[in-house]
Amino acid sequence: MIPQQPSSFLARALRGGPGRLLWLTLMLIIAMTPMVAAQGTPEPRDGGTLVVSIASDPGHFNPAITTGFTQHVVADSMFNGLVGLDANLQPVPDLAESWEISDDGRVYTFYLRPDVAWHDGMPFTSADVKFSFEEVLLKYHSRTAAGLGAVLESIETPDDLTVVMTFTGPYAPLLRRLDVTEAPIIPKHIYEGIEDPTTAEANLKPVGTGPFKFVAYAQGDQVTLEANEDYFKEGLPRLDRVVFRVIPEANSALQALQSGEVDYAWNVTPAQIQLLQASPDLETATASASPGGALCINTMAFNLENEPLDQLEVRQAIYHALDRERMLEQIQFGAGKIATGPISSAMSDFYSADVTAYPYDPERAMELLDDAGLTPDENGVRLTLVFPHPNTFDRYGELIREQLGAVGIAVEDVSLDFNAATDRVFLDRDFDLAIVSYCNGADPEIGVRRVYDSRNIRPIPFSNAAAYSNPEVDALFDEAATTLNADERAAHYAEIQRILTADVPYMWLIETEGIRAFRPEFHDFKHWSGHFAETAWTENAAE
Amino acid sequence: MAAHLPRYLLRRVLQAVPLLLGVLVVNFFLIHLAPGDPIYLLAGDGGDEPYFAAMRQKYGLDKPLPVQLGLYLLGVVQGEFGYSFAYARPVFEVIAARLPPTLLLMGVSIVLSTVVGVWLGVVCARRPNSPVERSVLVATLLGYGCPAFWLGQLLVLLFAVRLGWFPVQGMVNARADYEGLARLSDIARHLALPVATLSVLHLALVTRLTRTGLREELGKDYVRTARAKGLPTPSVVNRHALRNALLPVVTVVGADIGTLFTGAVLTEIVFAWPGLGRLLYDATLSRDYPLLMGIFLLVGTSVILTNIVTDVAYAVLDPRVRYT
Repeated sequence: MIPQQPSSFLARALRGGPGRLLWLTLMLIIAMTPMVAAQGTPEPRDGGTLVVSIASDPGHFNPAITTGFTQHVVADSMFNGLVGLDANLQPVPDLAESWEISDDGRVYTFYLRPDVAWHDGMPFTSADVKFSFEEVLLKYHSRTAAGLGAVLESIETPDDLTVVMTFTGPYAPLLRRLDVTEAPIIPKHIYEGIEDPTTAEANLKPVGTGPFKFVAYAQGDQVTLEANEDYFKEGLPRLDRVVFRVIPEANSALQALQSGEVDYAWNVTPAQIQLLQASPDLETATASASPGGALCINTMAFNLENEPLDQLEVRQAIYHALDRERMLEQIQFGAGKIATGPISSAMSDFYSADVTAYPYDPERAMELLDDAGLTPDENGVRLTLVFPHPNTFDRYGELIREQLGAVGIAVEDVSLDFNAATDRVFLDRDFDLAIVSYCNGADPEIGVRRVYDSRNIRPIPFSNAAAYSNPEVDALFDEAATTLNADERAAHYAEIQRILTADVPYMWLIETEGIRAFRPEFHDFKHWSGHFAETAWTENAAE
Repeated sequence: MAAHLPRYLLRRVLQAVPLLLGVLVVNFFLIHLAPGDPIYLLAGDGGDEPYFAAMRQKYGLDKPLPVQLGLYLLGVVQGEFGYSFAYARPVFEVIAARLPPTLLLMGVSIVLSTVVGVWLGVVCARRPNSPVERSVLVATLLGYGCPAFWLGQLLVLLFAVRLGWFPVQGMVNARADYEGLARLSDIARHLALPVATLSVLHLALVTRLTRTGLREELGKDYVRTARAKGLPTPSVVNRHALRNALLPVVTVVGADIGTLFTGAVLTEIVFAWPGLGRLLYDATLSRDYPLLMGIFLLVGTSVILTNIVTDVAYAVLDPRVRYT
């Protein structure tokens, strides 16, 4: 992850590349110009409005009932979690100022900040935390419900500022799944007694504890927030106002950014990178995490139930036949890196580079296919594979058809809308190859496990699409989730990565990164977080 | 005609009820039988079986389709249109919030393109084979062939990004809280480019229809009689011939008003206009069944009603038309 780039000149010069000399020269000239040099590095200022473009309409502002990207991008700025995540996705205090974990790893005790108030002035207490989990998060927040529902035994509140969570066994990943995106805390005094929190009126007039307060919502058009003057983090937020603008078309969003109508765009596509680099008056940043999913890997699944994909050699051959450099360059336009296995390299505590690699090698691919007895017919075709995919992956479809075609594998490329593709792969299991952007969260237990655990071979989206079943892997995941020692956990995950890359039930293509574009007078965004604007400020603010 | 009109209207409205029911039933099965599941959207990148089961039950998706349809129709009769899955709010409210921007965009565009189109048509018909006519006809041909998506982007690049005369997107300025007149002029500025995009296609159609119709009428005997009586040309054209020439234009405008609510999906997307066309598009992608049904109901009703109104307008324009 590359956090906020401090200043365009410096960043460009240090990034190197062909333009490096030019930038260094430019910096020198500027440094020698007294008037410009006098400005120096700007100091953070208070005030100003940030206009943010988002691709779709949030519809409501209750982050506890959904995992939707758009809802979280907007609502997270108005709420908090018990724990935040820093730029390296390590837990940092948010609503909880400190915590203790029992020696057996079953009991987590959180000590809440005493100075937190809801936007309507009511004090925030441990009762809000208990209520949020029991009545809303564990029922309606799909990831938290699926992840904690089975292992969380109880939540107790011995006093107003203490929350005790007890688990059925040791539970290691908890601290990384309590941030404002995974487990936002909502006010008990507002939602208590409401039969159905998903349709509550309060979802349209949100009351949170977060850095910004709700002002107005024009459906399909924009959401206006203003600074929470009583925010519990000293000196924050710095901006006066944040306006979210719904701009469905990525090109329109970029044009609005260029014309100055928008200051920050979430919905930048990789194809726009070159355009952005040609606009000297715009900054770009990439982040491997966002409220829509963290550390995502574009992953292809083999349907292991279909012949001849049940043969290891065939899977190895197909992996060798893919030119992932070209995918990274031509589809992602460089935003991301080539994946080496099931755990993203950005998850530094758990990633292991000690894995079997599958470099692009069409010769080797053809040898392996020959060995597997798949020889070309009179048309040069060894094998035909059906590849249904969401239309957002059309460009992958084209490249994969071409690259597999080169080694004699015909690909029937079927482009569908997201919903139809999900049905076809996960429900109907009518595919040979599938492609999914599996997002993994800050801990392998949040996202990685569901893809490989044999108990997760089931007809729901983002489950184990390959139908990969290996009791050893299942057991390693179980142990890793219940081991508190960080080194032991890392060792378990390293072993999992070693086994999976040897078995290749999936092909890990690209670790994707989200691209943000913004106007250069804005600084200090947390691009990876739902709290992206908490620390942001603008040079345009009136003194 | 006058005496028969009330009975005629009553009959047409009564006929509309089974028609609308048919539209709802067919659409209901179409959207439910399409692959995909609305729960995918709600679950996002997560969820397990208990979660999926609980959500299906909560939204009544676990019941057999005919039962779901029956419950939906029963609700509609009582004025209950259900809850949108994505918005978690009553369908009626969600649609109502998106109606004014769409009506504004489509209304202005239809009025503008019809008035200008009829005027251009008259200009052409009165100067057959002149350079004016030829250039208007070529321009309308180009206009009719332009995809809205492409034209919209082009207008944005030129008039918004390059020249800075108009905003790129949206309905109001995000940085200012305008009130009163200032707000109106802000909306008008935002309206200019999407209206221009939408009007081009419609304008071309109206211009050509008016021109063709008027030229035909101008060659008829009654026009010659009027001229022989010494009526001035504007009076002949505008009061006598144009009235007859406008019949096909009324049909086209009527059909456009029918699709008023959803006719501008692409334009609304390019200009980030917060209207109903975009809502329909989003609802389709997310398989938001209740919201889709609500929009179908609205569009179905409006098409049927405008058809009735168009037929009545015919009678006003052409006394030969009789209703029984």
